Amino acid sequence: MEPFLKVSRIVKNFGGVKALKGVDFELIKGEVHALVGENGAGKSTLIKIISGVIQPDDGEIFIEGEKVRILNPKDAHEKGIATVYQEPLVYKKLSVVENIFLGNEIKTSNGSINWKAQVNKCKELFKLLDIDPYLIHTPMGELSVGLQQLVLIAKALNYSAKVLIFDEPTAILTEIEAEKLFKIIKKLSSQGVAILYISHRLEEIFRIANRVTVFRDGKREGTFDIEEVNRDKIIELMAGKALIETIERQKNLSKSPILEVHNLTSPYFKDISFSLYAGEILGFSGLIGSGRSELMQTIFGLIKKDSGKVILNGEEIEINSPEVAMKYGIAYLPEDRANEGLFLRETIKFNISIPILKNLTNFFFKIDNKKENELAQKAMDAIKIKAPSILTVLNNLSGGNQQKVLLEKWLLTYPKILILDEPTRGVDVGVKVEIHKEIVKLAEKGMAIIVVSSELPEVIKLSDRVIVMHEGSISGKFNRKEEITPKNLISAATGIRKAS
Amino acid sequence: MKKNSFFRFFRTREFTVTIILLLLVILFGMTTKNFLNPSNIRNLLLQVSTIGIASIGMTTIIITAGIDVSAGSILGIVAVVAGKTALSGYPIWLIFLLALLVGALLGSLNGFIIGFIGIPPILVTLGTMSFLRAMVYQLLGGKWIGSYPPFPDSFRKVGTGVFYGIPIPVWIMLGLVLIFMYYLRYRPTGRYIYATGNNIEAARVSGISVKKILFFVYILAGMLYGVAGYIMASRTGIVQTNTGAGFELSVIAATVLGGTNILGGEGTVVGSILGALLVAVIKNGMILMNLPALLEGLIVGAIIIGSVIADILKTREGKR
Repeated sequence: MEPFLKVSRIVKNFGGVKALKGVDFELIKGEVHALVGENGAGKSTLIKIISGVIQPDDGEIFIEGEKVRILNPKDAHEKGIATVYQEPLVYKKLSVVENIFLGNEIKTSNGSINWKAQVNKCKELFKLLDIDPYLIHTPMGELSVGLQQLVLIAKALNYSAKVLIFDEPTAILTEIEAEKLFKIIKKLSSQGVAILYISHRLEEIFRIANRVTVFRDGKREGTFDIEEVNRDKIIELMAGKALIETIERQKNLSKSPILEVHNLTSPYFKDISFSLYAGEILGFSGLIGSGRSELMQTIFGLIKKDSGKVILNGEEIEINSPEVAMKYGIAYLPEDRANEGLFLRETIKFNISIPILKNLTNFFFKIDNKKENELAQKAMDAIKIKAPSILTVLNNLSGGNQQKVLLEKWLLTYPKILILDEPTRGVDVGVKVEIHKEIVKLAEKGMAIIVVSSELPEVIKLSDRVIVMHEGSISGKFNRKEEITPKNLISAATGIRKAS
Repeated sequence: MKKNSFFRFFRTREFTVTIILLLLVILFGMTTKNFLNPSNIRNLLLQVSTIGIASIGMTTIIITAGIDVSAGSILGIVAVVAGKTALSGYPIWLIFLLALLVGALLGSLNGFIIGFIGIPPILVTLGTMSFLRAMVYQLLGGKWIGSYPPFPDSFRKVGTGVFYGIPIPVWIMLGLVLIFMYYLRYRPTGRYIYATGNNIEAARVSGISVKKILFFVYILAGMLYGVAGYIMASRTGIVQTNTGAGFELSVIAATVLGGTNILGGEGTVVGSILGALLVAVIKNGMILMNLPALLEGLIVGAIIIGSVIADILKTREGKR
């Protein structure tokens, strides 16, 4: 069968980094084609080339057998290629219909916007995607992230897309929203749209894809019909090594809790109480927007609490800024590493040493360069950050390596309580396993750890106990390992109260 | 790693500006009679010193992704205060201290509104620029001071004196450059300034009190404008209602030319001084070549826009 889109021998370099080393790839009408690979394998680069964001250094692109150049995103749209990115790019103050037609307005004969036609088209698209047409005039910012994602799919379809690219669409979606997305994808592919689907979640790929292509180190490792492969085989191709899913560890809990939270309340959550012991990993599960991250940010002093108490080692403490939280031995890794966690334009060294700079000064209050370099080098080696040197700028690192920098940065503060918000978000399978091992090692050494995660497998694998939140309240506490099952966690996360 | 940093030097803005400077010096040296004349060079350096000193403060502000258009007005107020107290016969050490204090005070006004209330720097400093300029008029009553009666000689010494063949203001500038190079590079607060400009949210999560940092850089800058204001009054021997008017533009130009990224997070004090030198050399050379003054504005303007474009492209390239 003639592929709709074909790229051949695509090469792309960024400075010295070879992102794509001569890649071939085909997309057939009506298929759902999954693209997998570790971060830095070249998936995003390929998407950007196909959607006209960047130009390849070498190689050819064919659409329906005809050689083309895709000059820019608009050109890609005109050729029937549309992309839905991982983070929704939306104009929050504009209405849904304005967002959908921005840059692609339907115009009347005198050049002004034909609102009636736009609204009608919008209703049509919403019907196809099963979105409530009532939302058409709502400002985009008032929609949940999941709904925003759906609106952007509608926007992509509006370009009469023949190729639809999804870049990790479920990373920010709840399980229910993801289900809906899968249905839509099936429907679109049955109508002849070619879908290119990128995800780190292999379960999804086996559910919806017809074919899968594995990338590694800027090269294609292979393309398979989905029946031909299994999970282990894909992981093997991605990482070049087999990976284990369960984790065994020594448990050495403290007798009394190191941290107690009593009736903590803020605009984002209410009446939250729990305790945390040294040496344990406490998982926080729940849908996005359930108030988990805001709870952690309140404990860390980034958000002001309205009422409630935080007790550290039996003594009530008042944390009104991250500085104070750090003094009490609390560290917090934010979920959004690019915007809240790291200084991407700075070096590894700069990023790692920033929270502890004051301890690195010598007698004259000068930063001890030698000490700082040694520390950064040690940190880099300890967690195997792949980079030429401690002076490498973070922008040149893959997401997984950036996440390692973030973890190491906070470990150097020697926290007693480590709060990890989505510790492996957007990170490839190999790095994920490494980070999980590191977390377990830290708990064994007696650190008290909170893991907030939207990925059930991660929470289940790591946690000794799990607390589930739903719309700002605790909707489930699971203290025994055998209670921590996907079924229990999902039912609590969707609001069915089941405390034990 | 040594080798690496060696090569990196050749790709810095400081290197580019130095090369352009040298080429211009050679060009003007060969085409004009007076450019390399010691008194011309001394004059040129004198002009650079006030802009250079103020640009140190502007650099720290722009590194935090801020901007300060009130620099010229703060300088004006300080010059008036310095001039008036000099006429009243105060000792120069006290006048100098007063200049620092007034600069710091006015800077803290900017810093407080920007850091703690959270109003965008351009709006705040536009407001203080206009407000303080009005105060200069008020304080001077529309007249100028310093010509009759003249400032005391002791007051004029700092601005007009020479030490080892080099004007005292240039020595002061060099001293301040060294201090702030060290400060920005080797002190934790210096790092925090870069961190704040690079990613203010990440800085906050990293335990940096970004509000205090912002407050602080505007005070620091205010003090440096204070030093520049004192030198300006002392050097020119006259303070008028328009003393320092338009000064902020030269200072911002020097800073941006020297490679301080207008988007924040990047920049060096040395770069800004080189930027100030470059602008001064171009202006001076063109006057000596008898080129029309209009052309000078065009060329300086074009260079500034070009360098900002280069910075922004560089930042974008990094964000692939």
